[in-house]
Amino acid sequence: MTALVNPGLADELARSDGFDADACMNCGVCSAICPMGVDVEVRRLFRYVLLGMEDKVRAETERVFSCLLCRMCEENCPAGVHIAENVRTLRHHIVRTGFGLGEG
Amino acid sequence: MSGRRIGVYVCQCGGNIGDYVDVDKVVEEIKGDDDVVIARSAMFTCSDATQQEIVQDAQEQGLDALVVASCSPKLHTVTFRDVAKRAGMNPFQYTQVNVREQCSWTHTDDKTGATEKATRLVRAGINRTRLTEPLEPIVVETTPKSLVVGGGIAGLRAALGLAELGLTVFLVEKEARLGGHVAGYGPMFPNDRKGSDLVATLEEKVRANPAITVFTNAELMAKSGSFGNNQATIAIHDGDKLETIQVDVGSIVVATGFDDYEPAAGEFGYGLDGVVTLPEFKKMVDEAPGLLQYKGRPVKTVAYIYCVGSRQDESLEGAHTYCSRYCCTSAVHTALEAQKLAGDLRQYHLYRDMRTYGKYELLWSASRENGSLYLRVPDDEPPAVEKLSSGGLKVTTRDLLTGDEEIAIPADLVVLVTGMVPRDNAELVSVLKLPVGNDGFYNEIHPKLRPVETIVDGVLICGACQAPKTSSEAVAAGLAAVTQSGAMLKRGYAELDPMVATVYADLCTWCGKCRAACPYDAIEQVELDGRQVAQVVKTACKGCGGCVPVCPEDATDLLGYTDAQIKSMIDGMMEVSCS
Ligand SMILES: Cc1cc2nc3c(=O)[nH]c(=O)nc-3n(C[C@H](O)[C@H](O)[C@H](O)COP(=O)(O)OP(=O)(O)OC[C@H]3O[C@@H](n4cnc5c(N)ncnc54)[C@H](O)[C@@H]3O)c2cc1C
Ligand code: SF4
Ligand code: SF4
Ligand code: SF4
Ligand code: SF4
Repeated sequence: MTALVNPGLADELARSDGFDADACMNCGVCSAICPMGVDVEVRRLFRYVLLGMEDKVRAETERVFSCLLCRMCEENCPAGVHIAENVRTLRHHIVRTGFGLGEG
Repeated sequence: MSGRRIGVYVCQCGGNIGDYVDVDKVVEEIKGDDDVVIARSAMFTCSDATQQEIVQDAQEQGLDALVVASCSPKLHTVTFRDVAKRAGMNPFQYTQVNVREQCSWTHTDDKTGATEKATRLVRAGINRTRLTEPLEPIVVETTPKSLVVGGGIAGLRAALGLAELGLTVFLVEKEARLGGHVAGYGPMFPNDRKGSDLVATLEEKVRANPAITVFTNAELMAKSGSFGNNQATIAIHDGDKLETIQVDVGSIVVATGFDDYEPAAGEFGYGLDGVVTLPEFKKMVDEAPGLLQYKGRPVKTVAYIYCVGSRQDESLEGAHTYCSRYCCTSAVHTALEAQKLAGDLRQYHLYRDMRTYGKYELLWSASRENGSLYLRVPDDEPPAVEKLSSGGLKVTTRDLLTGDEEIAIPADLVVLVTGMVPRDNAELVSVLKLPVGNDGFYNEIHPKLRPVETIVDGVLICGACQAPKTSSEAVAAGLAAVTQSGAMLKRGYAELDPMVATVYADLCTWCGKCRAACPYDAIEQVELDGRQVAQVVKTACKGCGGCVPVCPEDATDLLGYTDAQIKSMIDGMMEVSCS
């Protein structure tokens, strides 16, 4: 399925919760350092938000909640992305908009 | 015995030679040879101490010629010619014999064989040396004037630099106005100064400098002459009138720049309404009246497609396989400039690799935080551009950074980030015999050490005619060409190597074969005592020897490597040692 870009999602999250992944350069340091490994893969989650792929974010709810919020990634991110804060934003967003309960 | 007094030094080169060649044995073998007055071995012949010993020996023994058997002539010919000179000999009566690269290093498994070969090589060297004649460098007076072809930013800066060195400058620009591409640009990376302002400042200085004569609507039609002294014919168009003038110059600086890549119809949607090239887009941003507009419509979303016309697959006919170097940074910078305009702009960059090298990396980082999102396109699946029935454009691509997801971007404008291509300048290439590389840009002799010289003496290249370059790189090359011109012309004369071809006029029957064989047009036909004969133009001859073997009369010879010398070397090589 081709996804249509939609900048609205990132805008909304930036406004409501200070989501700030646009500086991310996809270097992969966060994924390499994360004790949860590929189970989280934050940078991919962030891209879904940046491109406005809401469905994908929702489909990865498990990942969003696997993060330990240990901030190992944040300490090492060369682009200064507030990674753990952003993960928290995604949790908040998912919770706020419902877990998709009642949809399936 | 010829009465020559030759000194022979065989080098150990630490163990480089000594470990495989029995150097003392070699010395022993050739010691008694005719004309060898002194023969010695040395640990490092090139060391200051040994050089000094050679000078001393030469003076005490009255040596008139020198042989050093050591490393490649490429390394130390000049060193030991200098030693010979200091010892009162003619430097061209020195012979370098290579017993390292061509002997010890190649025969590490056979010490006896290597030693014998070294002996033969040294003997050949002695024989050649016996027949040397004293030669003097060819001194040519040089003309303290330069011709600059092309008045872009590189050519303008070079013209100014040459004039500041005290040289007279002629600047020839094909177009009616100076400045090349940069003259048409607004703010440029890295410091946002307008290209038009940069060029205006430069042009003002160039026009005000009395040492510089500017010709616009002009072209170089012909060039003759040789090192340091060229006659250039310049054609100047004035409406229908054509005027030609002749100038004498010592060096020629070529700064003819590049062309923008022109996408083919349909290439990434080129031809569709709303698909533009980077130069076109830059102009739109430069001239935007507060708000970014395309044909009166506001632009809210821009999609860039990178590497258009660059880094093409080599299997394509006439592919431009190189990276154009300026375009990643220019696209990023233009995106930042566009973001400064009123309105909320969304910008999507479809790239293959980001090459905002060096300090330009900071622009790339800034752009990501200023409304630009980067998608990495796979090399083997370029993005597709289509026109929607609604009138807008849609770009579809895979994004490697999002797990190869297929993404569609609706855009008001698609910018093709086009590269630089070599400018078609066939006439100039043939007039100056410019060396054109496989990629179509002009070639320097050595990219690191001789970055603006060409194989044509006195013809220098600089700027984007050499390769894709940013303005600062183009100007740096322009100033390098200034330095090289200064080195050639400021002394007023140059010394050329005297090992050139010569014609024995009494033997020559003017068949013309040598002239046809010479790649440097260095042989001319002259009349001597009522006969037509060949003559070598010493300042044009490169000493390649191409004319020597073709002469049916044996009338040509290469000074320093005469037929007699070569034969004697072969004889020396064949001589069997007594022991
Ligand atoms: C869209 C775009 C944006 C860019 N932005 C930047 C930027 O922001 N910063 C930056 O550093 N660089 C930038 N560049 C690169 C910059 O344009 C080049 O580095 C620069 O133009 C090279 O200068 P040049 O003098 O070598 O060549 P040119 O600018 O091409 O000038 C060559 C000159 O030679 C003349 N000429 C050609 N043939 C002949 C002939 N046979 N006889 C006489 N004259 C001749 C031409 O008419 C021209 O005036 C950009 C390039 C592009 C395409
Ligand atoms: S904060 Fe979350 S994503 Fe970052 S390293 Fe820790 S577990 Fe991984
Ligand atoms: S470490 Fe930072 S810049 Fe690198 S991929 Fe992770 S979030 Fe992006
Ligand atoms: S500078 Fe960037 S856009 Fe230009 S050819 Fe190189 S990689 Fe492609
Ligand atoms: S090839 Fe020999 S004979 Fe013929 S023109 Fe040249 S020098 Fe003279």
